[in-house]
Amino acid sequence: MTNNRPLSIPVILGTTRKGRMSEHAARFITRQIEKRDGVKTELIDISKLPMPVDDAGDGIKDPAFSEKMVMADALVIVTPEYNHSFPGLLKHVLDSCLKEYIHKAAGIVGVSAGPFGGVRAIQDFLPVMRELGLVNIFWDVNFGSVSKVFDESGKLLDEAFVSRADKFLNELIWMAKTLRYGRDNIALDS
Amino acid sequence: MAMQKNKMICPKCGAEMNHHADKLVDPVRPEDMKHVNPALSGVVEEMHYCPRCGAVASRHAD
Repeated sequence: MTNNRPLSIPVILGTTRKGRMSEHAARFITRQIEKRDGVKTELIDISKLPMPVDDAGDGIKDPAFSEKMVMADALVIVTPEYNHSFPGLLKHVLDSCLKEYIHKAAGIVGVSAGPFGGVRAIQDFLPVMRELGLVNIFWDVNFGSVSKVFDESGKLLDEAFVSRADKFLNELIWMAKTLRYGRDNIALDS
Repeated sequence: MAMQKNKMICPKCGAEMNHHADKLVDPVRPEDMKHVNPALSGVVEEMHYCPRCGAVASRHAD
């Protein structure tokens, strides 16, 4: 059995910082996903989630976020690089779920003010994603020197990112379809 | 081959779910300790997916 629901690929904006340029990157990627047939998406802004910091893990699970993760076939995680890594609050949010992620695809979009496009944050993120049960793809999108990529209104200034996002999404959607087939049809003991 | 257990039934739509993964997790609550597999040093959670509606569910493997 394989269901015919459209693929669900939400985009997680992984920073709460005021003035964050990552929001422009997240909105750009969301728009690129919206152009795809058979795929639905939405932007999930972690600053809008009710995530207390007096507990952790599934003790702070937000039912609405959990349900979005349940229905997701893949995730796009947009992370800035802060002090050479990803934001702690992003991990706090992701750690609130587990079964929701298992055997689902994930791609990372790195954002940085400097030239490296979040590569250190992405490298730090890979073992976390693996432990969460997510299957990372081998394409990233790296928005280095991000103030030169978007203007203050979020307008894209470098059209090369359209084709980069296209390659990234092609691979992410392939992996999402493949893993959905596996979740639908392939038993662990088969 | 893993031992076949009863199929989980989807809590949302009632369809049979597919057991597609086992995940080793750390015991974080006192009640988790009785589920620890000493050979694996953690709790094995079965992960199940509903082919009809996309819901997920899990249960202890023991």
